[in-house]
Amino acid sequence: MTWGDVGAGALRAALPLALWGIVSAAYAARERDVRLLGSARWSALAAFALVLLAAVSMAAALLGHDMSIRYVAENNARATPAYFSAISLWAALEGSILLWTTILAGAVTYVAWRSTRSLPRLATTALAILFAMLSFFLALVVTPAADPFVRIDPAPLDGRGPNPLLQDHWLMGLHPPLVYLGYVLFSIPFAYAVASLILGESGDRWIVATRRSALVAWALLGVGIVAGAWWSYAVLGWGGYWAWDPVENAAIMPWLAATAYLHSVMVEEKRRMLRSWNLALVIGAFSLTILGTFLTRSGVVNSVHSFTQSAIGPLLLGYLAAVLAFSFGLLLWRLPRLAETGQIGAPLSREAIFLFQNVLFVAATAAVLLGTLYPLAVEAISGDQLSIGSPYFDRVEVPIALALLFLMGIGPQLPWHGASRATLERQFAGPVATAGAGAAVALLLGLRGAAPVLVWALAAFVVATVVQEMWRGVRARRMLHGESPATAFASLFRRSGRRYGGYVVHVGIAVIAVAIAMSQALSVRAEATLAPGSSMEVAGRTVTFLGLRDVAEARRQQVVADLRLSDGGELSTALSFYPNATSAIGSPGIRSTAGDDLYAILAAYDARGHAWATIQVRVIPLVSWLWIGGLIVGIGALIAALPAAKASERRRAVVLGTPRGAPVPAAEAK
Amino acid sequence: MVPARRTSSRAGERRLLVITALTIAVAIGYVALQNLQSSAIYYYTPTEAKQRQIAPGSTTRLGAQVEGGSLRYDPTERDLRFILTDGVTRVLVIGRGAPPALLREGAGAVVEGVFASDGSFRATGVIAKHDEVYVPPSPSATPAHRTP
Repeated sequence: MTWGDVGAGALRAALPLALWGIVSAAYAARERDVRLLGSARWSALAAFALVLLAAVSMAAALLGHDMSIRYVAENNARATPAYFSAISLWAALEGSILLWTTILAGAVTYVAWRSTRSLPRLATTALAILFAMLSFFLALVVTPAADPFVRIDPAPLDGRGPNPLLQDHWLMGLHPPLVYLGYVLFSIPFAYAVASLILGESGDRWIVATRRSALVAWALLGVGIVAGAWWSYAVLGWGGYWAWDPVENAAIMPWLAATAYLHSVMVEEKRRMLRSWNLALVIGAFSLTILGTFLTRSGVVNSVHSFTQSAIGPLLLGYLAAVLAFSFGLLLWRLPRLAETGQIGAPLSREAIFLFQNVLFVAATAAVLLGTLYPLAVEAISGDQLSIGSPYFDRVEVPIALALLFLMGIGPQLPWHGASRATLERQFAGPVATAGAGAAVALLLGLRGAAPVLVWALAAFVVATVVQEMWRGVRARRMLHGESPATAFASLFRRSGRRYGGYVVHVGIAVIAVAIAMSQALSVRAEATLAPGSSMEVAGRTVTFLGLRDVAEARRQQVVADLRLSDGGELSTALSFYPNATSAIGSPGIRSTAGDDLYAILAAYDARGHAWATIQVRVIPLVSWLWIGGLIVGIGALIAALPAAKASERRRAVVLGTPRGAPVPAAEAK
Repeated sequence: MVPARRTSSRAGERRLLVITALTIAVAIGYVALQNLQSSAIYYYTPTEAKQRQIAPGSTTRLGAQVEGGSLRYDPTERDLRFILTDGVTRVLVIGRGAPPALLREGAGAVVEGVFASDGSFRATGVIAKHDEVYVPPSPSATPAHRTP
């Protein structure tokens, strides 16, 4: 028996378990049957173990170069190094769906074992819905169109190898699984929302119960998107990191919708408002993850990412239609029960800012959706092929992003219900002055034009509000508890992690905004054809071309250009020739510093005598802060997702005026 | 009296909020629709482009095959020329800078740029088409190639 047989068998065994899970969880929820709930739990665990076994089998088959499996033959070669063999699990469609199914089975198991005890009916109903989704994906992976373990006979001696772009950089091991984790974990809030609708609940129990999974899904997707931008920067060789490519759009849309959701649920928790809106948002965000998978994997869009075209496109589209019809139908049916009890306060209250923030995020999502689907609609109607260029996205999204930066600065500073004039002055005097300083820095750096200068000013504004808030928090704790500054600072995060973690996320977003503005506005580019020993000037720096050398490896041939920089550092950039690609793949040489990146690519060279090479050099300011900003966002989200402090200490925090971040178990107990 | 006035001012504030939110949404929708058509880049084969008489200066994508033996690159002038053909119509493409690695004679290519008044195409960029990148390593060892 080979790994292929193990994997194929495991997937086929898992499907009936998932189907049984739907029946047993639904019945257990309806009849409050503990025995059947136990059965559903064990089905979840067993199905997860089997799907995990299938994924491990595929990884083992890739590592063992078992060319009798079609997926291995098409995405692996005997010369592929172990790391790139293992991560070829998500190099193409079938493997990606297998990874998706594995994560989903893990999510089902998490809900089955962690949540069904404290919230029996809601969580068990959600469990039945999650089992239904798992059944769909398990049914998908055993159909010929998406079965990863299909054989070929006779087996070829060697395989085609992974797509060259996927075996060129270690980030390929990070970006896709992060995005998939983010996508799939949105299933949990979605399943709870649908369960809440089915049960006819009108409260926010589903929101409180899934706060952490929504936050974790959002953070993983966000960090995954930044990792993808970094990969594209480090591999594709044009010095950019974002092109409004349909597949990039597919990842950013659910993230935008989920960002709106994470903020609007706070309004529901505090003010008992926006109930149906929150349900619609979570259904929308989840549907966009499926739309994203459909766009990426069906080949309907022309994109650098559309590596595979497949027959599963219609199946995914049917699944999306079913999800939309079922969940929005439920929402309409239950609308009468979702009456609002709270009312929105003054225009300068926190809930009003959340409202504007939500309008902007939903509009940003809708604008990306329009730009992504418009070419498909035109082609379907008139047959003309077109694409929507980045000017559209820049013109629509940049003003929205600036407005959101502004709201990010003022929102957290405004109290619920409305602010007095004195409050406004106390909260904003310092940040407004800092914003002026930020604008001055931008002008001194040579930035011209409203957008980049505004980005500096608004980012400075946001960071100043966060610093002010933390300073006041530390001061209050010092006065009331006599803590040392360091202890007081740490307890802010421990006791009100949701609030202060959120501030850290805001700082990360401000850092990303500045990095984008600087790298877009001030990057310098030069190209020259050089003989060995001669040099070129870029942004006051000298780049000397030392010469070309050939490097032969088992999986590829490389032509490497060695460069010396004016500070004595060396850099090399290469063109790689893979046996499965007709054209060479460029590997940029990147020297990153905190101030800027020097980005060099070998554009062309003399193949006969190595007598000349055309070198492109870009100097891109602050671009590495984009990746650092992504990391800060991830860390902030982690702080916000960690369990808050104990009950006795929380009561004291309420006295202090920071009644946020109530931990999940306490809220569920009611 | 006082509570009544407070309620009506609350209602007024709420109406102001809703109107502001709607105005924002409508404004964004307007900007989006205004920019959608002007940012649309149509994709033609050389024959289609000739039939439609694309106006010189409007950004277009042209997709066809690079004619064998037509690719010329002058490294000192960084002048790049090649011919795109769909078998019926041939278009001279002129660009600046080294040919990207994915541009090969006999292979498919999509270039973005504008038509000049003399009928040649001034390319500003070459767009990858990954589906055409793949070739099997050797005929005997070919796994069945999937086509859409």
